[in-house]
Amino acid sequence: MTPQDITKLIVRTSMKDRAAFDLLYRQTSSKLFGVCLRVLNDRADAEEALQEVFVKIWTKADRFAVSDLSPISWLVAIARNHAIDRIRARRQAPLSIDEALEVADPGPGPEAAAVAGGEAERIHGCLEELEKDKAAAVRGAYLKGESYNELADRHGVPLNTMRTWLRRSLLKLRECLER
Amino acid sequence: MTLAQDNGQERGGDDLVAAEYVLGVLPADERRQASARIDGEPGFARVVDQWEVHFAPLAAAYPEIEAPASVKPAIDRRLFTATATSPSAQGSAGLWASLAFWRGLATAAVAALALYVAVPYINPPVEMPQERRVASLAADGSDVKYMVMYDAFTGEVGLSHVAGERGADKDFELWMIEGGNPPVSLGVIPAGATIHMPIKQDMRGKLAAGAVLAVSLEPTGGSPTGQPTGPVVAAGDLRDI
Repeated sequence: MTPQDITKLIVRTSMKDRAAFDLLYRQTSSKLFGVCLRVLNDRADAEEALQEVFVKIWTKADRFAVSDLSPISWLVAIARNHAIDRIRARRQAPLSIDEALEVADPGPGPEAAAVAGGEAERIHGCLEELEKDKAAAVRGAYLKGESYNELADRHGVPLNTMRTWLRRSLLKLRECLER
Repeated sequence: MTLAQDNGQERGGDDLVAAEYVLGVLPADERRQASARIDGEPGFARVVDQWEVHFAPLAAAYPEIEAPASVKPAIDRRLFTATATSPSAQGSAGLWASLAFWRGLATAAVAALALYVAVPYINPPVEMPQERRVASLAADGSDVKYMVMYDAFTGEVGLSHVAGERGADKDFELWMIEGGNPPVSLGVIPAGATIHMPIKQDMRGKLAAGAVLAVSLEPTGGSPTGQPTGPVVAAGDLRDI
């Protein structure tokens, strides 16, 4: 499926076309389930989240028209934000599970490096300009939806220090992205 | 937070909050605040959208994992059967046991089968245009937005109301503009989130060929003159999809 095909399916879904919605689910649910599972770290929770994500997609498909995101990025943003809202609503994050599953923070793999030159992929290049641990914190936060609390715990610094630290990184990123 | 001094001006502060929201690091209450602002402040929503665009390439690292087969039926139940479940709860035992119900069902099934078999003869399938065109209607200085889809098969325009209110004693009217010709009214847009408007036969060809659509603000009931009298609050091209 090309991005144009996904766009068509989203537009038709906004017109309450159930066949388009079914096809959109078939084409994109694996990616969105991957997002939910990575953030929530719990299959049952991720399944529940995926249901809610597609309910949102059905009811809010018309919002796609006012977004600058590519269709798949728009869908991923809905799934990510929903999964993060869900994990923030949990009383305590299952840190032990997270640690058990901890793998090396994904660097900008070969695929990413190959496209890093492209205008749209500038984020990879800009992350390279940050110190290694700060870039890793930004990537980790994005992919796993970690909170300031969790980041502070993991890096062994007070919450405010963590926030200052990350905000400085974001300011640098912005400066690089606007260059 | 201590960083207030670091950013100084308002835009910097908003920009950082937007970035933190997109990154996902904010605690629950601050996320809720940001989320409410996204819904209520188009300017803030745009800043958030820009950060989503910046970070989007990172999402390539998410693996695709097939969801269990039970998820899609559960979604469909949530979306499409919400109203059907409640009344059947108390009446279901009686219904299943009712002979009349089964007789009725059998009759309905036979009738449906007869129709299924007969329809191709009554109404032989013809080559129908499957063409659909879409437009996103918006305008500078206006918060009115509609998504439009024209379906050449049904001859209907489907509109999805995205944003913007018409106000008291006002109506939105939909216009078709083709080349340098004066706008032709397609009618007053009924209020609602999703609307279907039938298009007169003589205008369908022009829509199918791709015209410009515009929405103007008119007195209740539509323009009294046959031409737009109020400001154009949204417009866009019908494009092939």
